[in-house]
Amino acid sequence: MSTTTKLDVPDSATAKASPAKPRRGLRGSPTLTFWLFTGPFLIGLAIFVYAPILWSLWLSFFEARFTVTPDKFVGFDNYVYMLTNEDFVGSLGTFTVFAAFIVPTTWALSLGLALLVNRLRFMRAFFRSVFFLPTAVSYVAASLIWKMSIFSGVRFGLMNTVLGWFGVENIAWLIDPNPPWYWLVIVTARLWLQSGFYMILFIAALQNIPEELYEAAAIDGAKSGWQTFWYITLPQLRATSTAVILLLLVAAYQAFDEFFNLLSKTTWGRPPLVELYYKALGESQDYGAGSAGALILTVLICAVTLLQGKIMGFGRGDESK
Amino acid sequence: MSASSNMNWDRRNVLRAAMGLAAVGGLAACGGNTGRGGGSGSGTNLTQMFHAYGEAGTEQAIKRYAKAYKDANVTTQWITSNDFESKLFSALLTKNAPDLFEFHPQIQMVKSGQVADLTDLVEPVKDDFNPADIKSHTVDGKIYGVRMIDDPQFFFYRKSMLEKAKVEVPTTLDELMEAAAKLTTGKVKGLYMGNDLHSVNDTLIWSSGAQHLDEKNEIAYHTDGVVEGLKKMRRLFTSGDLLLGAPTESWDPSSFNQGLCAIQFCGMWAMPAIQDALGDDWGVFPFPKVTDSGKPSVYNGGWSMFVNAKSKNVDAAKEYVKWLWIDQAEYQEDWATSYGFHIPPRTSIAAKADKLKSGNAAEGVKLFNEFGHFDNIGWTQAMRTAFEDVFANSVRKNMDPEKALDRCDTAVNRELKKLFG
Amino acid sequence: MTTTIPKVRKSAPKADTPSRAGRGGGVMSSTGLYIATGVAALLFLIPFYILVRNALSTDAEITGENWKLFPTDIQWGNISELFSDETVPFAQTLWNSAVVATLHTVGVLLVCSLAGYGLARIPYKHANKVFYAVLGTLMVPTAVTFVPSFVLVSSLGWVDTYRGLIIPGLFSGFTCFLFRQYFLGFPKELEEAARMDGLGYWGAYWRVVVPNSLNFFAAMATITFIAGWNAFLWPLVIGQDPSSWTVQVALSSYMTNQTVVFHMIFMATAISILPLVFVFLFLQRWLVQGIAQTGIKG
Repeated sequence: MSTTTKLDVPDSATAKASPAKPRRGLRGSPTLTFWLFTGPFLIGLAIFVYAPILWSLWLSFFEARFTVTPDKFVGFDNYVYMLTNEDFVGSLGTFTVFAAFIVPTTWALSLGLALLVNRLRFMRAFFRSVFFLPTAVSYVAASLIWKMSIFSGVRFGLMNTVLGWFGVENIAWLIDPNPPWYWLVIVTARLWLQSGFYMILFIAALQNIPEELYEAAAIDGAKSGWQTFWYITLPQLRATSTAVILLLLVAAYQAFDEFFNLLSKTTWGRPPLVELYYKALGESQDYGAGSAGALILTVLICAVTLLQGKIMGFGRGDESK
Repeated sequence: MSASSNMNWDRRNVLRAAMGLAAVGGLAACGGNTGRGGGSGSGTNLTQMFHAYGEAGTEQAIKRYAKAYKDANVTTQWITSNDFESKLFSALLTKNAPDLFEFHPQIQMVKSGQVADLTDLVEPVKDDFNPADIKSHTVDGKIYGVRMIDDPQFFFYRKSMLEKAKVEVPTTLDELMEAAAKLTTGKVKGLYMGNDLHSVNDTLIWSSGAQHLDEKNEIAYHTDGVVEGLKKMRRLFTSGDLLLGAPTESWDPSSFNQGLCAIQFCGMWAMPAIQDALGDDWGVFPFPKVTDSGKPSVYNGGWSMFVNAKSKNVDAAKEYVKWLWIDQAEYQEDWATSYGFHIPPRTSIAAKADKLKSGNAAEGVKLFNEFGHFDNIGWTQAMRTAFEDVFANSVRKNMDPEKALDRCDTAVNRELKKLFG
Repeated sequence: MTTTIPKVRKSAPKADTPSRAGRGGGVMSSTGLYIATGVAALLFLIPFYILVRNALSTDAEITGENWKLFPTDIQWGNISELFSDETVPFAQTLWNSAVVATLHTVGVLLVCSLAGYGLARIPYKHANKVFYAVLGTLMVPTAVTFVPSFVLVSSLGWVDTYRGLIIPGLFSGFTCFLFRQYFLGFPKELEEAARMDGLGYWGAYWRVVVPNSLNFFAAMATITFIAGWNAFLWPLVIGQDPSSWTVQVALSSYMTNQTVVFHMIFMATAISILPLVFVFLFLQRWLVQGIAQTGIKG
């Protein structure tokens, strides 16, 4: 299974394949075949993804309280309301801070683990499994372990027990926002759940780095260690890093499960999805404002992703088309 | 979704409901004159939605009552998530909406046509209900829900712990704060009011001498007394005397029973569990007054049955509500006193409820009558959430209470404007 | 991507081969390396330890004043207690999760791989536009479509059904994207040879492409299965009745229930994780290789 470089193929899909390939008039035209392959998926996508999105778009221009089939058109009122709503705008800030922190941290931890595991000679599979295993655990299960045991605010929580040995008072990790310990809880849970997966990506990439580069560097007098890491390993991992960061960003702004399960009834530490859920889609049932907020969020996400793509060059193969 | 198809549905549903009613046997005033037809109502399926009560046996009880009903096949959805409101609200938008459900009286459900008018069920027995329960379910002279249980909420305290620390039962918020400080020892915290403190939101308003909305449905909670109360709550929150981060919220007595705290805010429903765990070593007292002009208060929460106005079986659902929550006194008493303790809203049934006549239960009933405040139907879920944010912002976080209340005002006024113009 | 690597090597990444010495350099001695890895591993194992400890303890020991390293008496009875609990039909929720995750996996692989292949390989002048339409869905947060989707599915009468749990989730833009990226890198020569032999795209796909991509399919299957098993929000709203709950919904219900019975919720969590741990330990080799080929490495 050769993984010839991905890089020289991407843009070509359509362009290269079309010219002059002797086709023997079998099985209809390529166009038909194309729809045969993609049809089932696209129909499903239209019904279960695009239709609801359009419905949301429509709702966002209506006063839709307690109903999803409203009749009172309000223009951009919902958008104005959401953009002037301190909580919603604040949650966009929260999300930015959260993403700015969790993305590099997860990136660094996964890379660190990959470097460690990659150098092991014995028990390599064992350690890799240990770091990888949390990937199998759901956010719900992890939230439960974190909230009910590790960071439980009472005396039998693990962290409080450990601190208790040093005479430190119990800390209400998730309840008291000063100091904001809740970030520690959320970040550790997320790191635990995510790092293993990205570590695997990095291990794969590390093994793709040709040995010759290190040998050549050694001949040139580069010191093994930070120098080779900085001048060889890191640049060689560029493509993987880009992909990992993109995936982490997607994951960060889709954050919901653990915030929802760990932080209840707060006005802080709410990513936009949670904010929308509570403010509009949940109890107040303001579907118009909720949809407007969701669309604002979507535009923001697209902008961030495209920006990141521009900066780091992800998907350039596709764009060059 | 054309209007015409909806009309068809409606007509068919009316027919079906009428048949259901006929089978019920003409109990209702508008019962079909066809008398008892074939079918015996076996065709009518009703779904009811309940939040999960914590007390053992409650789910079985609700299902048992439903089974005893002969005129429709009633299935129960028992929602264990603490997000009951969201679940209920989203379900109400769909075809799979429950035909009847329990909730609190909130006017937006009336205004948006989600709940059916139940006046004809309640009217004949209106005088037997606690007048406050009628008032809190009435909009423009129509009654929209049938109260099942009243749940007064107040403080529970460990007698032995208070004695040991030489603390009297507090009568002001300041005394409560002092008591919490004195009762806090290494492993035991003085006071527990829930992790988010939201269970005392309402009592804080009342004990400060204010109310949520006034007669004209304008904001009445934004007073100096409430601001003072919030400041005191903030001091309490940062004092280290509060139990925080407990595994169960304040509606569950576990923290109190496990000895994690000396005083806990909880509801009357918890009394049997507390009695089991602590014997007689406990008592109750209302939320003390916050300011000199304030008064102690008790939150008379509770749950009521509502009928989904958009259900295909409105009449059959109403019939079931009438059968169970108006006619079946025995079940109503069982529901109120056999699992957790609740006060039956019907005077005749409350009078028979012997379990509530002695000891702490009797004391609870006394507090309910003397200091109790009921839900204001104009105070909706969105306003509730907005005021919870005040607590979150100014008590748990260090925002200036005035500023937090201003933000709340904006949100509440937006709601009020939509509801009352 | 400017510093494109001279990827001269032809061999597949073999994650299981021992590391070549010297890689990354001698910042750390071998002992130091093992100590660092060991400490990290211990930290990663703590949650699993807590899970097992609490699942097999009594509540009194879990909430006791002093931390018990391990339960004095191992409470195997907690397992039967969990399964005999009446309010939450736990065995049923496990079965539901198994059915949902399995069918979800089969469906996703089928639908998304075909689409991914079509987008990657079949010449069609608007293919790129279609691809962007797919890619665009990745950016839309679930909450946007959550309520309308629910209303849609409910008006189809799919609430409380396997259909409702499974079908709306089959059309994953992300999985389709990954398949496309993978197929872009699939050696063209193989397909061309197949088509020389008179196979159309369809025949070449099934006879040549799929059989030569089993590693990747296995990896995607594992990831999809995990996602299906761990999904929370959608099953939460679709599963109105406990009989159609998945195990995640059951877990959440334990967490938010009015009464918290510690040993039960931890036992439930442990059991809910167990099947995936097995899947992982057995499929790890393919998973690692497959992930290496997802194409997301650039």
